[in-house]
Amino acid sequence: MNHKVNGDDSLQPKDTPSTDIGRKQEMAELPEASPEDEKRSVPMNIEKHEAPEALEQQGDAKGSPSLLVDHEPRTDEAASSVAVKSVSVKKPQSFFGERPLPAIEMAPRVLRYESRRDLLMFGAGALAALTGAKFLLPQDTLRRLGMHRNMGSAWKEWFLSKALRIDDDVAEALYSANRSVPTYTKSQITPLKNNYNGATPDPGYISGWKLTLDGLTSGLSISLDIQNLLTLFPVHEQITRLVCVEGWSAIAWWAGMRFDDLFRAYPPMSQAKWALVESSVNLDGSGNPDPYFMSLDLATARHPQTLLATHFNGQPLTVDHGAPLRLLVPVKLGLKNVKAITRITYVAEEPRDYWAERGYSRYDGI
Amino acid sequence: MSHSTLPDCEANFTSTLPEQPPVLVVRKHHFLVRWSHWLNVPILPGLILSGISIYWASPLYQHKSDPNTGNVDVAADLGIWICAHVPGLHHYSNPPDWIYNHVSLGPGMLALGLRLHWLCAYLFMLNGILYVAGLVMGGGWRALLPRRTDLFDALRMLRYYLGLPFAKLARRQWLHPRLNTKYNALQRTAYFSVPVAGFLSIATGWAIHKPMQLHWLAALFGGYDVARVWHFWLMWTYILFVVPHVLLVFADGWDTLRSMIVGWSTRVEQSEVVANEP
Repeated sequence: MNHKVNGDDSLQPKDTPSTDIGRKQEMAELPEASPEDEKRSVPMNIEKHEAPEALEQQGDAKGSPSLLVDHEPRTDEAASSVAVKSVSVKKPQSFFGERPLPAIEMAPRVLRYESRRDLLMFGAGALAALTGAKFLLPQDTLRRLGMHRNMGSAWKEWFLSKALRIDDDVAEALYSANRSVPTYTKSQITPLKNNYNGATPDPGYISGWKLTLDGLTSGLSISLDIQNLLTLFPVHEQITRLVCVEGWSAIAWWAGMRFDDLFRAYPPMSQAKWALVESSVNLDGSGNPDPYFMSLDLATARHPQTLLATHFNGQPLTVDHGAPLRLLVPVKLGLKNVKAITRITYVAEEPRDYWAERGYSRYDGI
Repeated sequence: MSHSTLPDCEANFTSTLPEQPPVLVVRKHHFLVRWSHWLNVPILPGLILSGISIYWASPLYQHKSDPNTGNVDVAADLGIWICAHVPGLHHYSNPPDWIYNHVSLGPGMLALGLRLHWLCAYLFMLNGILYVAGLVMGGGWRALLPRRTDLFDALRMLRYYLGLPFAKLARRQWLHPRLNTKYNALQRTAYFSVPVAGFLSIATGWAIHKPMQLHWLAALFGGYDVARVWHFWLMWTYILFVVPHVLLVFADGWDTLRSMIVGWSTRVEQSEVVANEP
């Protein structure tokens, strides 16, 4: 597009003398500039532009005398004071058309000064970036790079937690109680891995299983077995996606009671904002104690798609998937979908969370 | 010069100044464009390294479990292959982790990988805003827009680049195509594609970060799992861009590199109204 406008070749030879005159006049005004024009072989039209204010601004902004002579390409728009917009009026350019870059005459010492300043700033920025990287990279990564010194791990921890907290706040702001997660048809169901990686827990706990509720308005501690739950509350079905923090996801068909129904039947104390959910699966792969506990905000708990699931793909839950009762929170990452829950405690302050203590986020809304 | 506010060390220049002709320069890059350009240097590797640490937790490309090792990850296979075939790596302690040990923060670092990834992702988005603001304020966006003649011009440039080594060997003259725009068609396509890829990376990133609240966005890219594939391959845009970008800027010379630091270029004729004659 540019060539059409600027390819006005006839202008060049005709205007060269006048340009030179203009330049020489200007040199007279600014004695620091040299009148040597022969060296400049650039076949270009330059005209002194009536923009002393731009000249002054540039000079002042750099803390240097007004050595800059603001030239711009040949233009008939003498009134234009914005160099970038200097275009020929003979063929007005479209809004999207590329404009010629404004050419400026600068005294070499100003250029040197500016280059030195910018290069120094660039070097300072590069150093800052290197320091930042050393500061933020995990210790193991730094060790592999051959750096053994411990770089302020407390600060690193604080800084990254802050970044994580911001992301949690964004997630919380995105959450809406009225927004449902997408549901699927039975033909879209995909295999769901249990993520025990071969260490499926011993099903011994199931026989004496009970769900205990604490932190209620009544001040009582309520224990319910699976039969109580199934007779007290209606069962809902949903086919939703479970998304793991690791990145995989699966579409599964669940059935169970709404958390909100339990909430209404056994209301928590008025100050309660959080639920602490604990699991019977509290041993690690080698049989050592490894209690699993998780924080859940009550706004999410009361979402209509938050279930206390009893069935998976039309069958009662197996140990793999958290028999006899698991939490299903499709608006949260899989790690909040606690298997084999045994206790729900309503609390006012944000409770501890197993994965948050291991460096993951707390809110985990997706 | 009496009103000079420059430090004393500048005094020499003052005395020699009358002999020095003014230099003709063009302002090539708005300072926000320059800053955001260089900010990508720490941010993009941060995103890629932490991203591959996240990838480790659940690789996109898996196969049936290997009967001997139980390995399912194609990236682990690649590491095993590298350790088996690259001299000096035969005794590498954990070949399946080779890739993750060399192009990520390391294996088993999902929590830290996620934290760093969010940090860099928010910085990347802010940086994108700076870049777009710089393009708008400096008017540079016009030089990046694709045009109808781009395909033909790109082929012409490609012919020039492909022929250049042979012309050099044969000591024949090989003319650079006439250019009267800031960038040639190949450059323009590359410089236009990268911000587009940046935008798509951010969009697919949000789609897989919030697949429930932003499920419409995930659906736009074909659902959660497909959006992950998009996000992964968009990363390669940056790698495929950066390698020739860095090589070419050094081949092109100091003026081009300097212009991204200081903003101006002395190559007035290339960027200006007149067509470039090689």
